[in-house]
Amino acid sequence: MEEQHDKTVMFRVEAEETENKARKVLLSVYQALKEKGYNPLNQLVGYLLSGDPAYITNHRNARSLIRQVERDELLEELVGSYLQRTEQEGREEADN
Amino acid sequence: MDKLIIRGGQRLSGKVKVSGSKNAAVAVLPAVVLSQDKLTLHNLPDITDVHTMVSILEDLGVPIRRRGANSIEFRPSMLRGYTPPYDLVKKMRASYYLMGSLLARYGRAEVPIPGGCDLGPRPIDQHLKGFAAMGANIEIERGLISLSANRLRGAHIYLDVVSVGATVNLMLAAVMAEGKTVLENVAKEPEIVDLANFLNAMGASIKGAGTDVIRITGVSELGGAEHVVIPDRIEAGTFMLAAAITGGDVVIDEVIPKHLEAVLAKLREVGVDVEVEPERIRVRGMGELEPVDLKTFPYPGFPTDLQPLMMVLLTAARGTSVITENVFDGRFRHVDELKRMGARIKVEGRTAIIEGGEPLSGAPVTATDLRAGAALMLAGLAAQGETVLSDVEHIYRGYDHLEEKLAGLGGLIRRERRDHYRARSRKPV
Repeated sequence: MEEQHDKTVMFRVEAEETENKARKVLLSVYQALKEKGYNPLNQLVGYLLSGDPAYITNHRNARSLIRQVERDELLEELVGSYLQRTEQEGREEADN
Repeated sequence: MDKLIIRGGQRLSGKVKVSGSKNAAVAVLPAVVLSQDKLTLHNLPDITDVHTMVSILEDLGVPIRRRGANSIEFRPSMLRGYTPPYDLVKKMRASYYLMGSLLARYGRAEVPIPGGCDLGPRPIDQHLKGFAAMGANIEIERGLISLSANRLRGAHIYLDVVSVGATVNLMLAAVMAEGKTVLENVAKEPEIVDLANFLNAMGASIKGAGTDVIRITGVSELGGAEHVVIPDRIEAGTFMLAAAITGGDVVIDEVIPKHLEAVLAKLREVGVDVEVEPERIRVRGMGELEPVDLKTFPYPGFPTDLQPLMMVLLTAARGTSVITENVFDGRFRHVDELKRMGARIKVEGRTAIIEGGEPLSGAPVTATDLRAGAALMLAGLAAQGETVLSDVEHIYRGYDHLEEKLAGLGGLIRRERRDHYRARSRKPV
């Protein structure tokens, strides 16, 4: 029997969207901080620790951009991405 | 001193842009002497405290070049001296930040005990305790603080009381000290973060600003940098309260709402409508106001600088509000002036009890300090009739064209200059 495609279907893409958004925001803010001569790593760590948007330049609208994603979501993206890469590197080493 | 003539009863409406932060500007300017390379600061507010600090730097031998209305380029090489002039230092409290920066750069500083608003005793023992822990010799004689050290060394310093001034001064001293400095129980104000941003852009290594522990690894020299001063959260809060007091509808633009969370929460509690966007806040004063209890605290608590202005708003809330001032001892000097306008306020120690609900009426009043002056301006805008506010120079120390900005929102404010009174009172020969 053919599948019905005339009804609204709900897809669970929220987690992926948040992940993509966090990544996009981090990269844009990183670029803006770099362009203004700040040390992006220092500034982003300062923001994540304190929650103070003063760490983020207003250049390229970066300050309001970073407020679009919660700090815990940014941290999840950073830690998740690091762990994923470390796990992958570990597997590659084991294969070799 | 000049006077402001304010006719009350107008609802403020429109959009206003917030200037650069006074408290951040007066902390980053003394840092200029730490480098020998070109430094550019943008978004400096056009206020007398900034003019005074820039004059002090020029007097010390720092060449400056103005780049537009709010930007200055500094090319500090060797300074002429390390003693800022008394006649300028006495005008502003933040001049004592030169203790930290001159000591770091030249191993020597002689700074007269500073002036500023009279808000009760504001001791500098925490600053001196920190300098001593970093190896500085300290002498205080005839109103002059003399500091010297061959080379400051990093230290572990715990501040007994949370102090913005001590945090700034010790950060400035530690950036070029030998080794690592850990500052504990420090102030978390956004202005501290702004200073750390500027110093880090110059090549310093400061971590943890905005939290209660700051770690600084000393570097041998600092280079050039360009920096934009953060928006003034107190000025933004002033416009928010002005909108609420006058039952107006004002959009405050170019602001960091995160810096105003305590103020936003209290305004909502009072019954004011606030809408927050990433860089702007819209405030609409609608309907009856509810009385609230309020306590001032260091950031992120409700700022002491907005307490006098909040008190004006609470005079309009029907019922009893209680304000507890936890930061400064002498911060109820505006109360007597508000009473002249019909406010019913009783002060007991650090607590003020406000019986609100009766409209204020215009009266001749005096600005006793910077924020008291701003509070009385707002009271004048809300009051029935005409208010004549004297000693308004206090306001210009910290607000960038406040009367013009309020007038731009529809406030009826006129400035009468001192020369005008002289001309009026002069008898014909």
